[in-house]
Amino acid sequence: MGSHGFVTLLLVSAVSVGTPLLYTALGELISETTGVINIELEGMMLCGAFFGILGAYWTHGVVGGFVCAALGGALLAALHGVICFVFRANQVVSGVILNIFALGITSFLLSTVLAERVSKSITHLADIKIPLLSSIPAIGPAFFDQDVMVYVALLSVPAIWWLLNRTSLGLAMKAAGERPQAAESLGVDVGRTRWLALLACGCLAGIGGGQLAIAGIGFFTENMTAGIGYIALAAVIFGRWRAFGVLGAVLLFAIADAFQIRAAGLGVHIPYQFLAMLPYLVTLVALAGLLRRSNPPSALAVNYHPND
Amino acid sequence: MSRLALFIRPRGLVAAILVPVGAVALALLTTGILLLIVGSDPVQAYKSMFEAAFGNSFALGNTLVKTVPRLLPALGIAVALRAGLWNIGAEGQLYIGAIAATAITIWFPDLGAAGIVLALLAAALAGGAWGAVPGVLRATRGVNEVITSLMLVYVAILLAGYLVGGPWSVPNSSFPGSEPVSAGERLPIIWDKTLLNAGFLVALVLLGLTWVLVSRSSLGLRLRAVGGNVKSARLAGINVKRAIVVAMAISGAYAGLAGGIEILGVRGRLIDGFSPGYGFEAIAIALLGGLNPIGILLGALLFGALDAGSAGLQTAAPGTPSSIVQVSESLTVIYLLIALGARDMWMRRRSARAALAERSGEAPATGVASGGQEALG
Repeated sequence: MGSHGFVTLLLVSAVSVGTPLLYTALGELISETTGVINIELEGMMLCGAFFGILGAYWTHGVVGGFVCAALGGALLAALHGVICFVFRANQVVSGVILNIFALGITSFLLSTVLAERVSKSITHLADIKIPLLSSIPAIGPAFFDQDVMVYVALLSVPAIWWLLNRTSLGLAMKAAGERPQAAESLGVDVGRTRWLALLACGCLAGIGGGQLAIAGIGFFTENMTAGIGYIALAAVIFGRWRAFGVLGAVLLFAIADAFQIRAAGLGVHIPYQFLAMLPYLVTLVALAGLLRRSNPPSALAVNYHPND
Repeated sequence: MSRLALFIRPRGLVAAILVPVGAVALALLTTGILLLIVGSDPVQAYKSMFEAAFGNSFALGNTLVKTVPRLLPALGIAVALRAGLWNIGAEGQLYIGAIAATAITIWFPDLGAAGIVLALLAAALAGGAWGAVPGVLRATRGVNEVITSLMLVYVAILLAGYLVGGPWSVPNSSFPGSEPVSAGERLPIIWDKTLLNAGFLVALVLLGLTWVLVSRSSLGLRLRAVGGNVKSARLAGINVKRAIVVAMAISGAYAGLAGGIEILGVRGRLIDGFSPGYGFEAIAIALLGGLNPIGILLGALLFGALDAGSAGLQTAAPGTPSSIVQVSESLTVIYLLIALGARDMWMRRRSARAALAERSGEAPATGVASGGQEALG
């Protein structure tokens, strides 16, 4: 790595910072498309990180870790679904509470269940070097010499674009998020569509958290997500509810984050807090419509009850 | 009809008390079972928590100290909700208030009592301004206030982190915090041999003011009208846009004031990440209290007591993690949401049955009860 230039190192850092963010933001994109907002993305990631490490320990393998990470995120998503869809609570309130719950329960389980077991860190994911592509200057090492979960995340972007824009399921999802009543009258099962999207979001955010813990540091620490879930929420807005838009937003946020790690090496001193504020500030500017008008799904965060 | 009716329908009074109390009991029970499963003694844990929260005057003082930063933002959130607005960003407004109060103590360290008043005013103003931003965006550009107020939380927290690590850092200190507030500008202790400071009195005064504001002032009526039906509020000649900004600014001012009190009364300096999430807990407390000032006071007391009680765990019941506080707090609200949902479901079913009976001409219709949760949303 020593021979690599600043841009290469910046991109390598950005991709490792951005991968958990990308999984989580793509999950939220799927969910918000159907009209369900998840303020508890942060909590889903925490659950994913915790159960990812626990699963990797139980199954002595990384695959088991990621399966458990997905299930952990989906568990919190299911709780959100029960509170909002069955008991009709406000999605924002539920999300705020579930964040506190996830922080509490993972910290509780860390000190009681996980504590003495995972002192030794788990096996890391090996990098897979893609021939030829990985030797492209600057972007090669960042995008083509990474662990398998990075490739899966990047490939998910066109896959989700295709799902949302080229399939009838995608059309049904958009209809559920824009005009649930009309969608229902056209034969879309809005309730089921929203449940599926919510659980998919839980799995993806859980994997995002798992990536952070398993591929990142190899163990779980209390509140280790430290706000990434909120940045993912911002990425969906800044990405204007489009798959490639979300990828762009994640890349921008991740490069800003990586810049504060790498800039010090150049002797450039920018307080890291200002770079860390960037995702929130640009999202505010975007929301204010100062860039281009952004249109969230019309029925976002509005519960739908077919029988009333 | 009493003035209280503006907060709670009298018919729902019993439910308004029983449901939260039941939710608290269920949450403590669930947490107790969790403790049993991991091999801790829940009875011992709760006993030591109760001791540390209410056992003596020092403990009670601690509980009240930890009630204030939850009570004030929760009152503010309730005021905004009267106008149908979700202020999710109280945590950020609290940080901005803390920053403003700290700035006054750094720039004017020798003003004494006047400095305290000035710092708290600055805290409320700054919090109000921070809260007004989502209000303005909502009023002028139709942007949902939930996301904007949430985004501003992290901007405020990072700004505080920058200040204590940069311009306000203390030279040769490994501890990221600002210079200590001068003794003359600390909020005085109002109860001997406890840590209870005058901020508690400020909070109580605001509790009363909130009641006046919401149920006896014309501003309160305007906010309520905007929260009820924007179109008819507009027809009634209410400036809806201004009401939205005012509601969010007032809401932010409460949280900002809480931040100021926390610096002048408790921490004695600005510290990176000093709030464990008071502003987020306040959302739960506002709901737990049914948006009623007295209910909110009780909810804040409960969360304050749990926080103060967690200190007792470390000494009396080692091995019991203090994170059970967050678990029981969040479970309380989860059960509350479920109970409210179940109640509405039951009421819908009953009114549907009544409608059916009426159609077949058997029984007179009973009143259709409106749903509590939907009204909040």
